[in-house]
Amino acid sequence: MAEPYVRLENIVKRFGPFTALNGVNLDVHSGEVHALLGDNGAGKSTLIKVMSGVHAPSEGTIYVEGKPTVFNSPRDATVAGIGTVYQDLAINPLMSVTRNFFMGRELYKGPRGLGIMKMGEMNEIAHDEMLKIGIDISDPTQAVGTMSGGQRQTLAIARAIHFGAKVLILDEPTSALGQKQQMGVLKTIKKVRKRGDIAVIFITHNEIHSQLVADRYTFLALGQVIGAGKKDELEHNEIRRLMAGGAEMRDLEQELADI
Amino acid sequence: MSDRNESDRLQQESTFQRLIRRPEAGSFAVMVVVLVLIAFASNGNAMNALGIKNNLSIISQFGIIATGAALLMIAGEFDLSIGSMIGFAGMSMAMMLKWGLPFGLGEATPFSAFFITLAMTLSLGWLIGTIVVRSGLSSFIVSLGFLFGLRGVTEVTFRLINQSTQISGLQDFKETSFFARLFGGESFGWFYDLAFALGFNLNRRGEQWVTGLDARVVWWMLVVLIAYIILSRTQIGNWIYATGDNKESARANGVPVNRVKVGLFMTTALCATIFAACQVFDTNTADAAKGNLKELEAIAIAVVGGILMTGGFGSVIGVAFGAVTFGLVANAVFYIPWIDGSFYRVFVGAVLLAAVFANERIRKRITGGI
Repeated sequence: MAEPYVRLENIVKRFGPFTALNGVNLDVHSGEVHALLGDNGAGKSTLIKVMSGVHAPSEGTIYVEGKPTVFNSPRDATVAGIGTVYQDLAINPLMSVTRNFFMGRELYKGPRGLGIMKMGEMNEIAHDEMLKIGIDISDPTQAVGTMSGGQRQTLAIARAIHFGAKVLILDEPTSALGQKQQMGVLKTIKKVRKRGDIAVIFITHNEIHSQLVADRYTFLALGQVIGAGKKDELEHNEIRRLMAGGAEMRDLEQELADI
Repeated sequence: MSDRNESDRLQQESTFQRLIRRPEAGSFAVMVVVLVLIAFASNGNAMNALGIKNNLSIISQFGIIATGAALLMIAGEFDLSIGSMIGFAGMSMAMMLKWGLPFGLGEATPFSAFFITLAMTLSLGWLIGTIVVRSGLSSFIVSLGFLFGLRGVTEVTFRLINQSTQISGLQDFKETSFFARLFGGESFGWFYDLAFALGFNLNRRGEQWVTGLDARVVWWMLVVLIAYIILSRTQIGNWIYATGDNKESARANGVPVNRVKVGLFMTTALCATIFAACQVFDTNTADAAKGNLKELEAIAIAVVGGILMTGGFGSVIGVAFGAVTFGLVANAVFYIPWIDGSFYRVFVGAVLLAAVFANERIRKRITGGI
């Protein structure tokens, strides 16, 4: 078994008296899609914030390529190759595709800050990187506000990959999208997976989406891992049961019927 | 159908369509209309040799401060202290030139008076910016505090040292100091000489009428040129847009949002100081009331120039067109005898409202609202 790119061991995160994560283990392998599932409040968001350097864990260790690593800031995590695509995508609608793609990391000639941007080169890179994972934008100078939700998602993913993400954390990328665009995002995930050098952590509420693209699953409930495994080790019904936080679907149906 | 992808839905536009969607388009159209109307209504007097000089004088004043205000607005903040900063800077320079340097350091030269003042105004700009970014309060309120506070400090200092809130009759430093000429002197003399040589620019006795434009015209052009290059070509320009559009997104991508904002508050202070220096060295006077309401005119010009109130969008060139429009209308009363000067304010109010609606429309079109 290959070394996981990132390994979380026994991560505990407390906010005062509240324990958000209670000893979570997670292995993330390059070239795999790892679905992270769980109900609202299960601790998914806290877990990705720990991985992306926003929160420091109260206990436990993060290993990157086998080495114990401490992230003091989101920047440290980015340097370690962990790219997070949040739900709001960190994209500015009034700015052009290229200006968004290189926001904060512009290519320039001259001193930092006052250097003149290499617009032509940046336009080309933005176009090519987005084409690689599936969309051909006709005009990189168009404002992002004119693009669809799926296209924006692709922009954010392409940007994270271009700037060296080896682990791509996608926080509910398919929510708030139409059916067709959801499929577009899943296709993008598959294309990223096919590159083989990038690990994807795919956070979702949607079991069908996770079954379409995931290689490995981790289920969280109340801050703990209640189930984990590879795709072929888990039954469909088992996935559904774990999705619901471990409760039997039949019990839920019964409860609903009783009302 | 299967060949059709999502990018096909974005219609390719003609060059003309692209031009009219640029942020400068609206303010350019307004400027042309105003230019033509005033030229006709004044029988061409507004555009003769003296008219051009006088118009450009006030246009440059507007333009210098509006450019600074516009950059700050693109980054999503306001500075209401510009007017008081002009009064403060003018007071500071004139006071040093009249009463000598502070702490008994001897006589002031235009050079030392300007740079000591600039150090103070830049510090004040830094302070306003730092309070805004540290506290997270609205820049509207923080700079409003400085609007009152700075004006008060200016008046108090005047009375304490000078016993009067104005200084007049300073010696004409332009005659002795090259540095004073840079701000208060004339520019484009060659243009007027050339016009004279070609048979224009004559007064009633057939001599050369106007010798040149104010030096501040050059300052305005410099400010516009530098601001244009910074905003549309440099890395900082991208940071300014990013900061104003959505500062959390910008921050998440590594844009130094706070430094951008503080730097831009210092830029408006710099523009106010240039404005004041041109005034002091041109007229050799200073007055505690100088610059009153200029901050609001600067914001109005920026909005008419196509800057969004919400930030993240706009162009320096559009603001230059806006400054031309406002300057022409502010001066119109001198060339059109039958018009009441207060129509200037009526015009400002009407154009401002129209511009806000137009800008909102542009914003919605970009973000997909229309």
